[in-house]
Amino acid sequence: MTTGNKRILLVDDDKDFVEAVACFLEANGFTVFRAHDGKEGVRLAKLERPDLILMDIMMSERTEGFFAIHEIRGDPEINRTPIFVLSSFCSRLPDFEIPASGGWLAHDVFLPKPVNTVHLLEKIHQRLGKAA
Amino acid sequence: MSDPLIPEAVVVIDDDYAMRFSCGKILSKMGLRVQVFEDGTRGLEAVTAVKPGLVVVDLKMPGISGLEVISRVHQIDPQIILIVMTGYATIDTAVEAMKSGAYDFLPKPFSPDELRLIVNRGLERRRLAIESQRGEVDRALLKRTFVTFVSHQLRSPLAAIHQYLDVLLRLEEMGDSPARRREWIGRCLKRTEELQGLIADWLTLARVEGGTLLKERVEVDIKSTIVNILENYRPMAAAEDVALEASLPKEEIHVRGDRTCVSVVFDNLITNAIKYNRRGGKVTVSGGLSDGEIVVAVSDTGVGIPEKYRPFLFDEFFRIKEDGAKRTEGTGLGLHISKRIVSEMGGSIEVESQAGVGSTFRVHLPAWREPSDAEIGGWQ
Repeated sequence: MTTGNKRILLVDDDKDFVEAVACFLEANGFTVFRAHDGKEGVRLAKLERPDLILMDIMMSERTEGFFAIHEIRGDPEINRTPIFVLSSFCSRLPDFEIPASGGWLAHDVFLPKPVNTVHLLEKIHQRLGKAA
Repeated sequence: MSDPLIPEAVVVIDDDYAMRFSCGKILSKMGLRVQVFEDGTRGLEAVTAVKPGLVVVDLKMPGISGLEVISRVHQIDPQIILIVMTGYATIDTAVEAMKSGAYDFLPKPFSPDELRLIVNRGLERRRLAIESQRGEVDRALLKRTFVTFVSHQLRSPLAAIHQYLDVLLRLEEMGDSPARRREWIGRCLKRTEELQGLIADWLTLARVEGGTLLKERVEVDIKSTIVNILENYRPMAAAEDVALEASLPKEEIHVRGDRTCVSVVFDNLITNAIKYNRRGGKVTVSGGLSDGEIVVAVSDTGVGIPEKYRPFLFDEFFRIKEDGAKRTEGTGLGLHISKRIVSEMGGSIEVESQAGVGSTFRVHLPAWREPSDAEIGGWQ
């Protein structure tokens, strides 16, 4: 199974969590960009144009992930990028719409933390297609 | 509201009856004094009257808008923490609200846990923002929020450990053992220690609060207690390149207390002094007896504690979060526990600190004296 050269941005303030998930994705053929706060996440989203973004919500003791998502969705260059919310803070995709930027898209997903990596991989393949 | 015995007041403004009712209920259960209002005008009247610590406001309301409420509340008192709730289609306004000074926001619908967490953080932030003179913080309030804090503190290390193990297993199945396997196991162990530390501290605190740890009142030699602790931490200090020095009197110095508790106090102070030191630094423990009082000072040569944080150092879960500061690994309970124990023993603990030079924690304890017969009766 090839994932071509699909690129994934992973944003989470727990460095251990990022390390584990990133290595798993890399072993499965993805290129992974790591960010440890919302600001860095947005910066890398704009710079690297990943195919998919995995986003934590509670970072630096705030709901920083929401802001990052808002900013990403507000940028027409990257606002169609699928976002997977990985969080132990909430238990579903929050009911939030962003009129100016599209809000949640049909291909956004919520996954509780710690994440079931097999399930995560399945979802990623569904979104990005199995073959390059 | 500077009286530590009066719970913090919170005002909730939302035109949706069910929402303000349930918010009011959740916040009341947290031990807060809550008032709920259906519109901005009435809400603002109340804010003027009660000067709450925190205001939770819905952004989309008829009449005065949430945004206007924010700016008016801050005119009344800039230190009031504002949390905005946003429903469908109002996230842009939420961002606007943050820009105009709201502290955080919660997209609707949210769970009681989410509300509690955000409100707790807001109130914690407020306590920080106020250059408070008060020594004691509102215990009643903190106690009720304790479980929420602990469960969140337990979750992150657990999620990290789970993730490492999960990925190790998956990669193993793929026949692709990660190069950093050993390192990962090491990190898992580290996070496990974090969890164990939290649970140990949590239990000690529960026992101190329940009074069970302080029942034992025996003669404890502070000197040998400290010497033992220093011996235990020699390897840790060596790894951090920190020297340990003791300057204690030749003779034993005795207090009346519980052996475990006394040990916990100095254990916390000494480990902190090692952890928050610099490479090549030094920890000095000095002590002595004067006028029936024992004074033990634990000094480090770390970066020092900024003055604005000092009033909160002994609070539950308080940790300094500064850019460039050393990664905080503790549970945020150590100093709080130490202070509780020392107070229970009739003593006090204080801190002195100078930026770039270091910090000194000084413990005062009443010295041991032979109990009178009347007192002995009371111990059995």
